[in-house]
Order: sequence, then C-alpha cells, then structure tokens
Amino acid sequence: MKEQGRTLLQKDGTKTVLASLLSIVIGLAVGSILVLLVGLFSDNLGLTSAWEGIRLIFFGILSTGRNASGGLTWGFNPQNIGNMLFRATPLILTGLSVSVAFKTGLFNIGAPGQYLMSTMVTLAIALGIPVSALPSPVIWLLAFLGGMLAGALWGCIPGIVKAMLNINEVLACIMTNWIAANLVTWFFDANKIFQNTVENTKSSYVYKTAYGRTMVDGAWTYVDGSGVQTAKLGLDKIFPGSQVNAGILVAILIAIGVYILMTKTTLGYQLKACGSNRHAARYAGINDKRNIVLSMAIAGALSGAGAALYYLAGNTEFFWQTYQSLPATGFNGIPVALLAANNPIGVIFTGCFMSMLNIVGLQLTKLTAYNEYITDVIISVIVYLSAFSLLIKTLLTARKKDKPAEAVPDGPAEENTVKKASVEKGGERE
Amino acid sequence: MRTMESENIIEMLHITKEFPGIIANDDITLQLRRGEIHALLGENGAGKSTLMSVLFGLYQPEKGIIKKNGQEVKINDPNDATALGIGMVHQHFKLIEVFTVLDNIILGAETTRVGFLQKKAARAKVEALSERYGLKVDLDAKVEDITVGMQQRVEILKMLYRDNEILIFDEPTAVLTPQEIDELMGTMKEFAKEGKSILFISHKLNEIMAVSDRVTVLRKGKYIGTVDTKDTDKHSLSNMMVGRPVQLEVTKAPAQPGAPVLEVHDLCVPSRSHKKNAVNHVSFQARAGEILCIAGIDGNGQTELVYGLTGLEKSSGGTVTLCGEDISHASIKHRGANMSHIPEDRHKHGLVLDFTLEQNLVLQRFNEKQFQTRGFINQGAVREYAGQLIEQYDVRSGQGPVTVARSMSGGNQQKAIIAREVDREKPLIVAVQPTRGLDVGAIEYIHGQLVAERDKGHAVLLVSLELDEVMSLSDRILVMYEGEIVGELDPKQTTVQELGLYMAGAKRMDMSGKGEKGA
Amino acid sequence: MTFLIQQTLLYAVPLMIVALAGVFAERSGIINLALEGIMIFGAFVGVLFVNVMQGVALFHDAFAARNWMTLQGLELLAMLAAGVLGAVFSLLLSFASVNLKADQTIGGTALNLMAPALVLFLIRIIANQNTLGMADGSDAASWFMIKKSTFGIDRQTDLGFLGETFINRVYLATYVCILLFAILSILLYKTRFGLRLRSCGENPQAADSLGINVYKMRYAGTTISGALAGMGGFVYALTTANCASTGDVAGFGFLALAVMIFGNWKPLNIAGAALLFGLFKCIAASYASIDINGDGVCMLANAPISSHVYRMLPYIITLVVLAFTSKKSRAPKAEGIPYDKGQR
Repeated sequence: MKEQGRTLLQKDGTKTVLASLLSIVIGLAVGSILVLLVGLFSDNLGLTSAWEGIRLIFFGILSTGRNASGGLTWGFNPQNIGNMLFRATPLILTGLSVSVAFKTGLFNIGAPGQYLMSTMVTLAIALGIPVSALPSPVIWLLAFLGGMLAGALWGCIPGIVKAMLNINEVLACIMTNWIAANLVTWFFDANKIFQNTVENTKSSYVYKTAYGRTMVDGAWTYVDGSGVQTAKLGLDKIFPGSQVNAGILVAILIAIGVYILMTKTTLGYQLKACGSNRHAARYAGINDKRNIVLSMAIAGALSGAGAALYYLAGNTEFFWQTYQSLPATGFNGIPVALLAANNPIGVIFTGCFMSMLNIVGLQLTKLTAYNEYITDVIISVIVYLSAFSLLIKTLLTARKKDKPAEAVPDGPAEENTVKKASVEKGGERE
Repeated sequence: MRTMESENIIEMLHITKEFPGIIANDDITLQLRRGEIHALLGENGAGKSTLMSVLFGLYQPEKGIIKKNGQEVKINDPNDATALGIGMVHQHFKLIEVFTVLDNIILGAETTRVGFLQKKAARAKVEALSERYGLKVDLDAKVEDITVGMQQRVEILKMLYRDNEILIFDEPTAVLTPQEIDELMGTMKEFAKEGKSILFISHKLNEIMAVSDRVTVLRKGKYIGTVDTKDTDKHSLSNMMVGRPVQLEVTKAPAQPGAPVLEVHDLCVPSRSHKKNAVNHVSFQARAGEILCIAGIDGNGQTELVYGLTGLEKSSGGTVTLCGEDISHASIKHRGANMSHIPEDRHKHGLVLDFTLEQNLVLQRFNEKQFQTRGFINQGAVREYAGQLIEQYDVRSGQGPVTVARSMSGGNQQKAIIAREVDREKPLIVAVQPTRGLDVGAIEYIHGQLVAERDKGHAVLLVSLELDEVMSLSDRILVMYEGEIVGELDPKQTTVQELGLYMAGAKRMDMSGKGEKGA
Repeated sequence: MTFLIQQTLLYAVPLMIVALAGVFAERSGIINLALEGIMIFGAFVGVLFVNVMQGVALFHDAFAARNWMTLQGLELLAMLAAGVLGAVFSLLLSFASVNLKADQTIGGTALNLMAPALVLFLIRIIANQNTLGMADGSDAASWFMIKKSTFGIDRQTDLGFLGETFINRVYLATYVCILLFAILSILLYKTRFGLRLRSCGENPQAADSLGINVYKMRYAGTTISGALAGMGGFVYALTTANCASTGDVAGFGFLALAVMIFGNWKPLNIAGAALLFGLFKCIAASYASIDINGDGVCMLANAPISSHVYRMLPYIITLVVLAFTSKKSRAPKAEGIPYDKGQR
C-alpha cells in the first residue's frame, strides 16, 4: 500500500514538473514569436535582429556581449549568474508568500504592498540608527526583522477584512497595494534625511544601506561604507562582478522552513484545511478566521523578508516617488508560486528561473533594439497557462485515481462537482 | 386494435451510459405507454437519474436508441427534448432563485418582439394553467421567497407552459409533506387522465403502489424487469430493487432513557435568508440512551437548530446546556468536547475532500497529545489510528489511509464520517440526515450504528426528512414547523398522517414547558 | 462648481462603463478580474489608432480646416477600435474560463500582467520611450474637446450654468458612454438575451436544462465586458491623460470592480456609485485646483492636509465602502465556477 502511494506521488510530481516546463517553453515561444513579428514589421529592426532577440530570450543568461565585429558572443558569464542569484532572493520570498496564501485558499496579490512597507521600515531602521549606537550586524538584524514585521502587519489587513467581513481578498490587496505606494512616498517625502543628496546625479532615491548614519562635526550625515550590508560569504569570489550575497542562502533556508511548516506541523495542517474547505475546518473546531489572518501575516512577513534582503544588500537603491507604480517583484511572486505548484522547495528553482528572465530582459535592452518588457509578456503567458495547466494535470491524475475506487454511479459524479463548486463558492462570499 | 409501437409513446431501447470507471446504465430498456403513470424504481445509485438525463438530452448514451411513437429520435440537448414534448421536474429544482416565478417559467421559452420580452401573454397562459390544475403560485414572488412545495409547482408549471405531453418526475416527493404528496399524486393522475404520459422516479414503495400503472426496476445500473403494479406487492418490489430480502423495520430494544444530556431553553437562531428567526424560541431536552428525532419538512429551521447547537451559527437568544455546562456562547471546539456531529452536508462540512482519508479521520483530533509533539504531527500515530478505524468500520477506499477523500464513493465517505464521529465517544451525537443518498446496505449499517450508540448510553439527536426513518428509528419525535417545535409524538402511538399534519403546520400542541420536561 | 462636476464626470463615466463591463461578465458567471488589463490594452489601441490616423490626409486636413464633425468621427472610430480589440483581448479570458475551465482569478491576473507588458514592449519600440501620445505632440483638447467655438459661439458668451457645464469643454465620448450605459442596462433587463445571460450567472445547470447554451452566453457576457472595458480604457486615456498610453491606469479597473460590488451588480446603483467614486478620484487628481464655491480660493489645496492623503483617498474609501457593503452585497451565485456540461 505504501509503495503504491509513493509511486503515484512521484508520478504526480513528475506531471507537475512537466506541466511547468511546458508552460515555460510555450511562454518563451510566444515571446519569440512576438519578437519575430515585431522584427518583420518594423522598419529599423529586421530579421537579423529578431533572430538575435530570440536567441537571447532562450540563452540570454549565457550571453557575454558583442564582439568587435558586432556578433553576439556566448559563454559562462559569472556576473550574470551571480546577479541572477541576487535577484532570485526577493523573488523566492515573494513566491513563497504567494504560495503560503494559496495553500490557505487566498490569492495574495498584495505582495507588492507588503514588499513596499517592508522596504520603508527596513530602510528607516538601517539608515535611521546611528552606526555608533549598535554594531552593524545588530542593525542589520533589526532592519531585517522590522521589515518582516511591517510586511506581516500589512498582510494582516486584507486577511482581517477577508476573515471578518468576507471581502474578496484580491480587491482588498489591490487597494492596500496602492495605499502602501502612497504611504511610502509620503514617508520619504516627509523624512528628507533619508533622501540621497550625496550622489546628486539622481533625484528621488534613498541612500543605499551601505551609507551609515554618522555624526560629523556635530551634524548627522551619511558616510559610504560605514553602513550595513549583507555578508558576501565568499560568493562574490565565485561570481565576480555580481551583486550576489548571502541573502540567497537565507532565502533558501526560509523556503525549507516553510516546507516543514506546511507539511509537518499542526499549524500547516490547519492552514491547509482552511484553504481546501473553510466550512469543514470550522466544523472541526479549527478557528478559520484566525488562520486566514495568520496565513496572510505569514505571507506578508515572507514578502517583507524579500524586500529586506534586497535592500540590505548595501548596493541597491530605492526610488521613493513610487506612488504611481508598484514593484514588479511583488507581482512576479505569483508566477513563481504558480510555476512551482505552490511547493516551497520548487519555489527556489522557479524563483531562479524568473530572475534569469529578468537578466535576459536586461541583456535584450542592452544588446538589441528590443526591451525588457518582452520578459514580462513571457511571464504573463506563463501565468495564463498555469491557470489551467494545473487543472489539466489534476484531471489526468484524478482519472487515474478514480478507477480503483468503488463504483460511484448515478448521483455522486454530479453531486461531487456541484457540491465542490458550492463549497468553494461558500468560502468566497456568504 | 393498436400495435405495440403506437401504444408506446416513448421507447428507450438497450441504453448504455458509461462514466469514467463505472457503467451507470447497462443495456436498459424502458417503454412508456401513452397516458400511463410509469414508475422507475431503484435504490440511490441504481442509474435512474442517469437514464432520465439521457431521455432529457443531458447525457448522450454510448449505446442504444430512443423512439417516440415508433420513430427513432436523436435527443442531443434539452431543446430537442422540449421539441419532442418531454418535460422534467428535476430532483434538485432547476430554478433561478433571484428571478420571479414568471421569469422562471418563461426562461428558455420566451415570447419576444425584436428581442424584447413580452410577458403579458405569458402571464395569461400561466394563470390559466394554474387555475385549471389548481397549482396556485404567486407569479411575481421571487423563487427564493417561496416554499419548497411551491417551487415544485413552479417546476410543474414550467412543463405545462411548454405544452409537454411526457412528464418526468424525479423523486418529487422527497421534499413534501404526506398531505402534499397526496395532492401531487392527484395532480399526476389528472395529467394521465388527460392523456399525458408520466415517468415517476422513486425509491418509495408506498407511493409507487399508490399511483403507478406499471413499474420498471433498476439495480446497480442494470435492468431487472417491468411489472404491472396491480400484479405485485411491496415485498416483491423491494426484493427486485435490492436483490435480497430487506428488513423494512429497524430492530431495536425499547429505549431506556436516563438523565438529560442536552437541555435547550428558548433558543433562537437568526436566519441567513430572511429577517425572521430561523429557530424561534425552541426548548427541549435530549436524554442519555434515547434517539430523539427532529422531524419536519426541509427548510423549517432544522439546519439552523443544528448550527445553533454545534456553534456553526451564533444563537441570538436562549441557552444550550450540555452535560450540565452552559455552552450557549462556547466555541465550536469547546462544544466538541462533549458532542460529536454527523453533518448534513458531507462535502461542505464533513470532509476536506482534497485531504487524505487519514487526515480527515483526525480532523478534530490532530491537536490531541497522541497525534502531535510540540506542534509537529505524529505521522505514525495518525496512520495507525486511521488503519484501526478503517478496519473497525469497514471503510473501503482505493489506497487505504492515503486515499484522497474526493475519490471515495458517497457511501464510504459517509462511513468515514460516522467512524470518526462515533469513535470520539461523546455523550451527545448529533446526526443530520445521516443516510441521505445512500443505498440500502449503507442505510442499514448506519441505523445499526446509531442504535448501538444509544445502547451505549449516549444521547442521539437525529434530524431527518425521511418519514420512514423517523418512524422506525426514533424513540421520541419532535416536529419542527417554521422554526418552532409544534409537537412531540411517540412513534409507537402516532401515524404518518398525524405526523404530516404537524409537519404542515395544520396541527400543533401547546408546547409551553412540555418539551423541557421531556414528557 | 462647473469644474468640479466636469472633472467628476470625467472619472465617473469611464468608471461607470467599466463597472458595467464587470456586470456583464459576472452576470454571465465569469469573474472578470482583467478589467484593469483590458483597459490598459484598450487605451493603447485607441491612442495608437488616433496617432496613426493623425497622419492620414483626411483627418490631418480636417484639423487644419477646423472640421469638428470629422474629428468627432475620428474620436468615435478610435473608441470603436479600442472596444473591438478589447473584446478580442478578452477572448483570452473567455477561452480559458469557458473552454478550459481555468481558475478565473489567475486567468484574469495573467491578462492584467500581460496587457502592460505587451503595451510597454510595443510603445518602447514605436515611440522609443515609455509613453505613447498623439502625433507631433499635439493636444487632445484641441483635437477632440467640444467647446463654444465648436458651435460657432463666441468665447465670451455665458451659456448659463447648465450650458457651461454640459456643453462647453466636454468630450463627445462622455455622452456616448452614458448612452451606451443606458442601452445596455435595458438590454440586460428587458430582453430575452439579458434574461438568459443573467440565468447563466445564477444557475447554469438550470439554464442548460432549459436549452440555453451556457458556454455561448458566457462568451457573450465576457466579450461585451471586454469591449466596454477596452472602450472605457481609451475614454479614460483620452479625457484624463491627454490621449496618452503609459501601460498603466493606476488600479482604475479595480476601482471599477469595487464600484460594481458597491452597486450590487445593478446598473442604476452602479451609476450612483460611479459618481461617488468619480468625485473622490477627481479630488485625488486635482485637489489643488478645485474651487468649490467659486471664490477663487482652492480650499482643498490650502487645507493642512498632505497631498498624499488625497491621492490615497480613493483606495481607502474603496476599502471602507467594501467593508460596509460586503455583508449586504449579493454576487451572482455561480460566478467564478467553471461550468462543465458533462457533469451536472
């Protein structure tokens, strides 16, 4: 019996991976077709540049630039790989955020807002505490935890209105996203000390955390190199020229932690019970409202951790006049989670894939007349496919599993689906 | 003299319909004569509804043909069925709740002028029909505001409005009082007299004996036979239906009621669909060692009463005392300490369908010491416990403890719930329609379990819509009507007819103080 | 006051028409979360259409000759183009939700991600920057706005309050949208099509048993929804963003969804709700120049409230309004549930 279960599980896992790979291939293909079409119809692009674009879409991570004669060159590019790992860090965490909420039956499209709130608090702590007051690892830790807490609190808001008032969490999340975008702008507008005036080539940026708050001649100023930054742990030696740091290891550890939480603990059991059937969970005495809020809080904390790790790197800067736009990293947590079928371990890999696309986009912009938005198109195609690739997969497995079960004549076939629908519905609005 | 062909208005010949993994209809032949009432008898899951869905164009059969008046016809969708004059009252009414009665009747057969609805003529036609057959309805009321019996009239009017001559009634009596059932039988006979042909689907032998001319019996998707009603009796029909002699009565020793376990005083529970209380000042006691049954027509507050007792809904007044402790405002979990609950809707409340069987079997107990250590689930203990329950209660599934609940049959899903709830060994067990939609074997089993619970000295609170079940299983009956308890009856002394009068609100006792003493 | 009303209408009308777009989809049983994305796409299509047509001699000369009728025709054509392509874009959602029984929330989100990505990708290639506006930097107001001069009335003439508010400095698109809104509301309630569409969102099993093709109805609902949202997107860009497309409508599509819920999926309530939300959106956008009582003092700008608060206002109000109405609101019963013919 045990053996049987395990092989089936493996098959199920294989199918998930296959479905995800298929989505990726189709997504890349659609991107290529678009590039081709634009190349064909545009006067200044042409077929050659389209072919370059397509090659970059698939293998951009291995691109090393152009040679003297203008041809694309290829090879192992440690800078690209390192940057991919660096950019994967926040993506893995927002991906985890979305997937934890998904397991509880919630669609956390509020990751951008949680990410922003965490950014604000992380930067405020990291830049606000004078370097002389505390050792920098302590400041780093405080900023990291502060960011997570801010994300958690911001995630709670849609959680609470969903649990108490049964407001569609998607709408609530969208609204809190835009409120966050305005709040953050307001905060940095009001607290001028954080605005970067040293590197005055750019406006509306906050100091990098590598700048430490220091008292010089009786006035607070920011001094480069005295602030906090995530340890590199030698990763910069492996990937020279890249931004990579130990944040990626933290993200992987958190992913493993989330995996254990969801599969091995009573809390995970409760969250999943609420997610798959809120009514049954309530019936069994599980506090569904508390779990919904808790799940959104965990999701928010994870998004928050993503922002904290990104901005504590020391060499990233934050554009604070952000009230008109939301960070893409938040939204991209959705495809990361969907591609991984909400499996926390899978999220590590899909997060890396998404950041690879990111790098590819930059290469496209740098090396061709195309631009990075093509990768967003690819991502959206992947999300679109995952809306039903999951379903196709379940249909395949469901049929296999149904056969050995006893005859389910007449009613049940109907009853099952109708009931399922009504239950899910019931969970939504009541 | 007429030939066989013209005598049969509808013939379904050698119909086979398969679903993934099962054959719902296996070579079934059914012949409906003009102007007859033809009963289709079979247990839940015998394939009756599937066969009727084939006739109504909802399913396409793999094999077999359908003839009308001797001519082969293709019925690809309900439009074809309507064009052939076939109409159907579905078991679960196909009504749009937020639409008015009139809109529901005309939907799909609207009269229009350049696309705009013309309701005047339709209204006149419906009014004439309802006058002629005594089917009184308020055409401007919304369907959600009218009673279930009234909704059934709307369904019948839908068929008449479309001038159907072949009428299918799918389990039409399940939601009616005995008196309403009599009325329906009368209406059906009148239709038959006018030359309409009727297919009457049921598993209730009394009704079939009372109204039908002929009976076709199905069992497990197979055709068993067709007999003239006047040449048969209940026992031989039930043998045909189940395939073995059936115990029509539940055997149980007389109850030996002990001290009250559950005391309900003046309980009120608000309604979700309207402003009034769904449960209105209800008081009663349930004692150890008895099966107390709440009878009534669906929608008279039984569901809300159970929600109020189990904590799924907040009560708006009154007290609930369980084992001497006031639990009126206690959490669901707290109430669960002394109460187990077999819920009305096994898919909505009873199971997490995407969880495995073993996960479902510890739904309330995962937090107990034996199943967890410091927040980590003790997987081995869960597996062992599940195996034990599966064996003891004979829950069958594809892969044992790791079977996904969704893939189990309805009967075994219900068995799993019963196993879980009975094994919690609580002084009070609340069972709401525990046998709904199950076959005779499963019903017998569940009845046996409930009697055993009673004999262990637990209090059993049974909510049932099935009159036969109420009469045979309970030791004491409370009848609910419009949110109130209107009568307390002794099943040994009352009749189904009397029970029906209480259920319909035609008769009521003065219940002040009576229920509480437990008479 | 005239300014306030005109500004409010500028926001309320697209909100209203996009909320109605939501109604058509949801009443047929499909949750259209993609309104935002379709708006972005529609805005792009409309703007691109105008941009290209400006180069066509007919319109070029019409502008030079102050031939207002032709220019209004161009505006209508652009609305039509945005509507048609919005409908085409929404087919992605209908196909996924109806034929493939996909999760409509995820499907809608995909479209919301796809629209800005696609639009920005193309804008960057066409315009070599992140904004696509009218050709040669021309101004939407001078091309399309209806003014006193349009009717040959002298600028100094006072048309009275009503005239100044509803005839001077307005867009034809606004009135076309209001007219469409009325026609479609009637369609929804008074016709066979409307009755059948609504039945599919409430109880598709019942509709199917009465011979109504649920799939077709859902396609119809979503397609109308897409057309309206696309058109609404362009109208929004035309009237509030000087006919420019930036791959963003700042959550406007989601505000429309909130308006729809607040209006309880009923057109009349939605019209009211849209006016209310339009007012807040108008305050957020132009609090600095709103002169309520006409004394030349801009009260809101002078009030000691941060501009950030005004900008946040629409979103906060939405959340609060949802909190208060959610208990009473009644969504179409079957929305969001894929309908499977094989399993009834």
